[in-house]
Amino acid sequence: MSAADLATKLSNLVGSDVVRSDAVSLQAYSRDATPMFEGLPEVIVAPRNTAEVSKIVKFAHDTNTPIIARGAGSNLCAATVPLNGGIVMSMTKMNQVLEVSKSEMIAVVQPGVTNIDLDELVAKEGLRFIPDPGSRNVSTIGGNVATSAGGLRGLKYGTTRNYILGLEAVLGNGEIIRTGGRLVKDVAGYDVTRLLVGSEGTLAIFTEITVALAPRPEASKYGVAYFDDLASAAGAVEKIISSGILPATLEFLDNTCVVAVEDFAHLGLDTNAGALLLFGDDGDAVSIEQSVNKMAEIAKTASGARGVTLAADIAAADALLYARRCSLPALARLSSMSILEDIAVPRKAMAEVVNRIQDIGKKYGLRIGTFGHAGDGNLHPTIVLDKDNKDEVRAAEAALAEIFALPREFGGSITGEHGVGSAKLPYLEDLIGSTNMQLQRSIKKVFDPAGILNPGRIGS
Amino acid sequence: MREKFSQDKLDRCISCGYCLPACPTYKLTGNEESSPRGRITLMRAVQNEKLPAIDLLQESSFCLGCRACEPVCPAGVEYGVLLEEMREITWQGKNRPIIVRALFLIVDSKIGIWALGLFSPIAKRRKAQDDLHLMYGCFERRLFPAVSRAVAKIAPEVSCSSDQGCCGALHAHNGELEKGKVMARALGEKLPGTILTTAGGCAAHLSSELGPERVQEFSQWWVKRELTLQPIIESGRKIRVGLQDSCHLRNGMGVFAEPRQILKELGEYVEVPGSADCCGAAGTYALLQKKNSRKVVSQKILDIKELNLDYIVSVNPGCTRQLASELKRARVKTRVIHLAQLVAMSQQTTK
Repeated sequence: MSAADLATKLSNLVGSDVVRSDAVSLQAYSRDATPMFEGLPEVIVAPRNTAEVSKIVKFAHDTNTPIIARGAGSNLCAATVPLNGGIVMSMTKMNQVLEVSKSEMIAVVQPGVTNIDLDELVAKEGLRFIPDPGSRNVSTIGGNVATSAGGLRGLKYGTTRNYILGLEAVLGNGEIIRTGGRLVKDVAGYDVTRLLVGSEGTLAIFTEITVALAPRPEASKYGVAYFDDLASAAGAVEKIISSGILPATLEFLDNTCVVAVEDFAHLGLDTNAGALLLFGDDGDAVSIEQSVNKMAEIAKTASGARGVTLAADIAAADALLYARRCSLPALARLSSMSILEDIAVPRKAMAEVVNRIQDIGKKYGLRIGTFGHAGDGNLHPTIVLDKDNKDEVRAAEAALAEIFALPREFGGSITGEHGVGSAKLPYLEDLIGSTNMQLQRSIKKVFDPAGILNPGRIGS
Repeated sequence: MREKFSQDKLDRCISCGYCLPACPTYKLTGNEESSPRGRITLMRAVQNEKLPAIDLLQESSFCLGCRACEPVCPAGVEYGVLLEEMREITWQGKNRPIIVRALFLIVDSKIGIWALGLFSPIAKRRKAQDDLHLMYGCFERRLFPAVSRAVAKIAPEVSCSSDQGCCGALHAHNGELEKGKVMARALGEKLPGTILTTAGGCAAHLSSELGPERVQEFSQWWVKRELTLQPIIESGRKIRVGLQDSCHLRNGMGVFAEPRQILKELGEYVEVPGSADCCGAAGTYALLQKKNSRKVVSQKILDIKELNLDYIVSVNPGCTRQLASELKRARVKTRVIHLAQLVAMSQQTTK
């Protein structure tokens, strides 16, 4: 079907006010936050409710048209770039919080609600939405579910997958299903909810999400420790957790990242230190006082330690957390392109892995800034390079291949929280094995027999 | 005529989208192309010849140019400059709005500037300090002459020279970036030493061209004088006063604490919700995009009404005009006044 026909038919279906197909709009939706991936959609549609989503997917099914659901477009593995043309379905108009139940500690939301909007709303009830991806100011709950987004609290609280109780979703043939519900305990049938979390829009399109909330902690406390290098910081993290503390936050940044973040946030960070460890906890005032002081003590006496400062107040702590969330975009200050990775490794291997990443950088003459969630072993090595320097681009590709080999060697994963998308699909089968890959393909066929939902991604 | 964007400035953007929540036009539409990130994607497409430049026309006009996306951008993308380049590329020939052409005609000539001041009781010409000159501004001298008079009254050391043209901010923001830069430098030569300005938009443009050490916006300059201001009493109580930030002053120059500090001395200061967000005046925007400009300001008018303020203070003539006309339309009694005028109403003593 021609692009013009597609737009006309969709307009007839859901109204021309939510359908766009002009060259400018199409261009604007041709990418997400992943560098080097681009593809023009043929039409953009922004449905207002589940019934419209169902109609659109049914239409796509009947006409064999690719369809990609998109939230804020902040994806980092090219999972929402329309490489096969077709329909981009923007979920941003479905941005209502339908219900907050304080007694059940749940909220029912539409997929286009942003993380920050939901968290600020439930804060009024003394509650908190736990997942907090770095992009929380802009990224949507639908996007969280599609990638099982993590964030800065993974170690103590887990990620999105631990907080999704139920889903309403549209299958690849346009049918609407409901999975799970409002219950903590519910084992009636396969856990389809959990299967859909992290499915990157390849199995179904979410239209309503029931999330579990948590009580807002009474207090929180944060501090910063400096080290000679990232491996020393990793060593301190291992010591902290071995001592029996399970803190909310253990984040680290190497010197390259600290310099970039300080350039943006002006917090007075020590830009001479080889690495920074941001540690903190939340809960009742007495116990976090103990745990944070103990962490500070361990960090002070760990090998390679250079000093510890505790944040004076909540504002200072929030500023630190915000600065940490800005690490990736702040790295863009250093060069014309940054390629971010998202490997996860067992915590005890972390010190060795960060050293290996550094060696890879040296071997290829590349600048690699590494930051990450030290508590859960999720590392974001980021290569900053000159995109017009062909030698550097080639070197970066070779370095990336070596970085991707690290998780296999140490029993880790090629992606901790960003997803597979198009960027990491070539490496997936190698990691999970061919039998598992075949199973994923079979699952995909059951949910989406026509293969229209985000084609070319996991299991397609 | 410009055909290409500065590639290094385009490269800075990694499309993370952290700018989306700060953008007023994205808030209005929810459309990617009406966000800073989306517009940069479009600029890239033009740069790489995937889109014709003319396709940028609509978005280059819809963008307010408030630069609220800049302080929230961790990558440090200079969106304001990119927008100026976008307008320089697209607002050419018949695509330049007639109103903009007419305004250029007025401020480009000595006679035009003279005419703007005609029968307008601005601060009288005088020689005081050689290294401190008040800038009258083009439209401020026509619309709000009392502002320069207020500055002259409270600051006897400031020189007022009649020989000064337009600073070129109008040009830079409306498709004549290079000319705007030349005009700023010319004004810098005419007014030696520090240029004192009461317009946030002019301050940011001048400062970007002449350097921040040469340019002082009124509030920046006032707080350094170390004078204590007496609260203004009306109807037996301190006035209730709020502020509307000037976008370019706040987002371009990082000046927002200073006017608040002054207002806290002058009366009961109330932070208006969204005081940092654009009021929709946005230079020529209120003239060129009247409907959208009103959509942008509508919530702000309701908020001001709700707060029962005596005064809403502005630090830029465009904002003064926009708020005054919209408050009047909504029959809100709050008066709009420039910060310098309010300072002039107070008694000042040495600290």
